Amino acid sequence: MRSRLFNIIVIIIFVIILGVCFYYMYPFQSSIKLGLDLRGGTQIILKPIERGAEQVTSEAIDKAQLIILNRIDRLGISEPLVTRDFNNNIIVQLPGVDDPERAIDIIGKTAQLEFKILQSVDENENPVFGPTLLTGDKLVKAAAGYDSSGRIVVTMSFNDEGAQQFEKITSENVGQRLAIVLDDEMKSAPVIRQAIAGGDAVIEGIPTLEEAKDIALVLQTGALPVNLEMQEAQYIGPTLGQDSLQQSILAGIIGFVLIAIFMLALFRGLGLISIIGLTYYVVIFWGILAALETPVTLPGIAGVVLTIGIAVDANVLIFSRIKEEMIKGKSRLASFTEGFRNALKAIIDSNITTLITAAALYRFGTGPIRGFAVTLAIGVIISMFISLIFIRAILFMIVNSRAVTPGFIGVRIPKSSQGDSQGEIVGKK
Amino acid sequence: MAKSKKAAKKIKKRKQPQTIQPADEAKKTFIADKKPEKTKEPSLIETKALRFDFIGKNKYWVILSTALIIAGIIFFFIRGFNFGIDFLGGNLIEVKFKQDITITELRKEMEEIGYGKAILQSTEKNQFIIRTVPITEEQKDAILEKLDDSIGIEKPLIQDRNVAPGFSKTITRNALIAVAISVVGILIYVWIRFAVRFAVVAIIELLHDVLIIFSFYIVTFREFNTTTIAVVLTILGYSLSDAIVIFDRIREELRVNKRDSFPLIVNYSINKILVRSLSTTATTLFPVIVLLIIGNETLKDFAFGLFIGVLSGTYSSIFVGAPILIAWNNRFPKYKK
Repeated sequence: MRSRLFNIIVIIIFVIILGVCFYYMYPFQSSIKLGLDLRGGTQIILKPIERGAEQVTSEAIDKAQLIILNRIDRLGISEPLVTRDFNNNIIVQLPGVDDPERAIDIIGKTAQLEFKILQSVDENENPVFGPTLLTGDKLVKAAAGYDSSGRIVVTMSFNDEGAQQFEKITSENVGQRLAIVLDDEMKSAPVIRQAIAGGDAVIEGIPTLEEAKDIALVLQTGALPVNLEMQEAQYIGPTLGQDSLQQSILAGIIGFVLIAIFMLALFRGLGLISIIGLTYYVVIFWGILAALETPVTLPGIAGVVLTIGIAVDANVLIFSRIKEEMIKGKSRLASFTEGFRNALKAIIDSNITTLITAAALYRFGTGPIRGFAVTLAIGVIISMFISLIFIRAILFMIVNSRAVTPGFIGVRIPKSSQGDSQGEIVGKK
Repeated sequence: MAKSKKAAKKIKKRKQPQTIQPADEAKKTFIADKKPEKTKEPSLIETKALRFDFIGKNKYWVILSTALIIAGIIFFFIRGFNFGIDFLGGNLIEVKFKQDITITELRKEMEEIGYGKAILQSTEKNQFIIRTVPITEEQKDAILEKLDDSIGIEKPLIQDRNVAPGFSKTITRNALIAVAISVVGILIYVWIRFAVRFAVVAIIELLHDVLIIFSFYIVTFREFNTTTIAVVLTILGYSLSDAIVIFDRIREELRVNKRDSFPLIVNYSINKILVRSLSTTATTLFPVIVLLIIGNETLKDFAFGLFIGVLSGTYSSIFVGAPILIAWNNRFPKYKK
């Protein structure tokens, strides 16, 4: 009787978990965050490269990530994601953005602004500069606009320290040309007519207003501490992602129905219980994905579809063992107990090895592989949990009820022909 | 390990006369297990060959595996893998055109603008994937502009990917590290839970499955990309579960059955586990097959690899792993020969 109470408690706990999952699942349309490959958008992978004497340190990458995020925010893109992978590549995800090139221009631009004296021009017409006198980190404001003669310019204001330096530079170099260099490219080199106080400067020679706006934006967010090299840029249109999502879900549903039919055919009543378990599995999986708020990618969805098949495995193992015991002529209770005990080792060993694989994939994988590892691990854990605790509790609740005939389990037993519709007697004893 | 040694000792002593009768037992279970299904080929299942002779006939199964892998190797030297831009670097755009256009017409169009070598692939009606070597943004814009002028392009594009050459090195390196780590983890775990020979055989099975998947990708010249890596990694997990379920059964039978020889016990264990193996293969394959039928190119890629891998995983536990275990035991007897 005590174990009966225990089973009831287990089932109640599972019903509560079910409720929690439903809470997270609601609203169904938007409970799960979708990855870029499913919702459409742009993903850029950037590799940090040392700039001059500056090394690629973890702090430098952190700072670069912050600056990138800051730049994206100013573009008004919703829900951007800036992360770092195992190799210290920076991964930028921009949902809904359909122009990867412009995104790279803005995000990947180092924005190293330097003021130098233009000394001469060499034989290849490359400018020769003096030492850097002032850098962009003393900027407080940058804005794009037109000057009095209608040319596109970016105006910049310095902070007090920068303004003083700027005044000093201009007063000491009257008559020289002051080059404004952005990312090693000379933008303009006006002749200094007089000392300039107040700390305002102007970049000229920009072809379009949009580019001027982009320059102003990157100047304001500051220079990246490292240079970034584009490794991969990917844009997935909204229709492609939707197709993939719908087809995966459809495959999941059809697969589910086929599995259900198969289990009913093979295990009859027990099959029905495994369908309950499987439904429960899908709901918990959904709830966990929604609660974790990790974006689900296409390989992730495929992982879910695949784990549905694998989730049934534990049931098949247990049910086959129960059948085996029943055929040996053991009582129902003994068969159920033995069946679970015999299947336990196989289930645990096979699932733990899968978990080892998932852990290695998560730790060392990149992007989509990681997403896949997460779903694989979640699937394995939930399925173990359901088959070894939930289904066990249900089975032991009903084991003594009259419904559990050999036919219910899909076994024909000599002598007792109950539930045997075909009336076949197989096996000799 | 300790347990199995004990079992082995007991086998040597061979004192208990009461043992189960493998042949009878298997037959009985088999028929009882299968009947409710109303299988269409009862003859096949009830024939002696399928019921018992997994090991005896293993020569033929080895031929199947070897032939596939050799075909893979031959084609590997003929034309190698069809690596996607993930590995080679380059540009890929998927475009939907406003007018009706065939792939031949599009190829002509691409030749005219100087990209005759671009790889074209039709995905839907008037929708194509155009793959080129690494090109600059300006070059890509020029291609799109020209195609827009001559045929008309629906905006926005379906997809647009640009991978720097050499980027795959890190992906591949990561995948290899991940595999190496999990292989070591699995070896240790299986060693502790079973015996070192089981651990080695499990790894051989995994290697077999990977080679089979690679062979299929090479022979069918299917694109090999990062998705493929994810597929291979998944199959590692799947195949391993399958191997372990059989090992578990062998371990159990070795403990109960002290009279029969190791090959007989292995054979009997496989028979016992067969329904489970086939059921799990079926249930795993259902969604995969549906994806293979209804999915778009990306999903089909995924499903194709899984399909081959799941089949190979089931096959290898029975026809690759078991014979090796037996051969190993013949050479270095640990259990009754």
